[in-house]
Amino acid sequence: MSGFDSDRYSFSLTTFSPSGKLGQIDHALAAVNNGSTSIGIKSHDGIVLVTERKLKSALIDKDSIKKVQILADNVGCVYSGIGADSAVLVRSGRKNGEVYRRQFGENPGVDTVAKDLTAKMQSYTQSGGVRPFGCSLLVGGVDPAGPSLWQVDPSGSSIRWKATAIGKNSRTCKTFLEKRVTPDLSLDDAVKIALLSLKEVFDGLLKAEHCEVGIISTEDGLFRKMTDAEVTEQLDGLE
Amino acid sequence: MPKQDTPQQVLAGLTSKNQFTKTGTTICGVICKNGVVLGADTRSTAGDIVMDKNCEKIHYIAPNIYCCGAGTAADTEYTTELISSQCKLHRYRTDRDTRVATAKTMLTRHLFQYQGHVSAALVLGGVDVLGPHLHTIYPHGSTDTLPFVAMGSGSLAAISMLEQGDADHQGWRPNMEVEEAVDLVKRAIHAGIFNDMGSGSNVDICVITKDEAGKIAADYRRNTDIANPRKYRRDVPYKLPATRLVEVNGDMDM
Repeated sequence: MSGFDSDRYSFSLTTFSPSGKLGQIDHALAAVNNGSTSIGIKSHDGIVLVTERKLKSALIDKDSIKKVQILADNVGCVYSGIGADSAVLVRSGRKNGEVYRRQFGENPGVDTVAKDLTAKMQSYTQSGGVRPFGCSLLVGGVDPAGPSLWQVDPSGSSIRWKATAIGKNSRTCKTFLEKRVTPDLSLDDAVKIALLSLKEVFDGLLKAEHCEVGIISTEDGLFRKMTDAEVTEQLDGLE
Repeated sequence: MPKQDTPQQVLAGLTSKNQFTKTGTTICGVICKNGVVLGADTRSTAGDIVMDKNCEKIHYIAPNIYCCGAGTAADTEYTTELISSQCKLHRYRTDRDTRVATAKTMLTRHLFQYQGHVSAALVLGGVDVLGPHLHTIYPHGSTDTLPFVAMGSGSLAAISMLEQGDADHQGWRPNMEVEEAVDLVKRAIHAGIFNDMGSGSNVDICVITKDEAGKIAADYRRNTDIANPRKYRRDVPYKLPATRLVEVNGDMDM
């Protein structure tokens, strides 16, 4: 979006402060930190993405809320922050994945999917008349190089993590993860640790209806969401 | 009509035709109980020369939808790949299985846009939430919806098998069992392989069905019938010291 349709918006709304900060990006990160907690863990044989699904009202049809989304056969993502903004990124991520596949004849690597998203996010910090995206995404997937987990931020930066949390209570979660995550984790272990971590910071009793879980294993390389029954089984199996 | 070559030109191996790789082709499809069966031969030609003795003419569109292609090989390949990609994005967006009508509409809109210059004649078949569907799509963008169809240069031979059958076999009838339908399609493709110069080699089949539980599965049977096997095959004649024999091609006519 170059925004040159009107001279009135031909300048970027994200500008430097004298101290060298980009205020709008910091505010966007604040929006992310207000969002519900999302956790991602990489195991040696896969990735798990977990998020809190807190409904504002019992009248909301829970199944219509989709926070963990598929981006490509081998890549999925979850967000924290403004859901409407994340929908734009998910759509863009899916399209770019297909464009890459048609152009190069193979699935893009997880890093490519993440970097394409960051390119879009960065452009919204330096284009006319637009604001940065109010969400961070955790992008997880499996490619020939193995499983990888990426965080993409409103600033357009990307970080590859072994395990991380974003949104509310992310600091508490990360402290928990630091203690529990080891290099030789299996995907099963990772799912349990992610759910335990969410349980730590969840207000009330954590049930399947309160969370969404997405997994991808190196066995089949296909991203999928766990059903409520599977999540309940996992939660019941936690210490 | 392309300019006719003189016998002298043909003998000299020179032709004025722009001979891009086409699929002479026999493709067909039938609706059966709980599903559709698609079939195709495997010969692709450039003029009078067989370019590929075992090409794949049944293209993937979606897990529950496949499409046979006749006409210019590049056109059928690219068009089906394009629509397959668009259907995938559509599935992500809608969180539903692709419907055959959707794929059909995308294909026809594309072909109509190119006013017949995209030379792709397709047999589109699949099963979705509304049941089994079978269509033919012509290069200009028109469609037919029928219980059995055939396209390509061998379509006349194939359709006679589907319409009428022969002395020992019946043609198409409603509510055929899946394996009966597979047999019928094989015979129709055979008719094309043996009676049409533009078609030959082997038979590929794709069976798409929905079971009682409502689960849709596609069974892509590549080279289900090797109608023209290579009868004599020379053994690897000598052993080169530094090379390691990894694999010898099987019975495929390659």
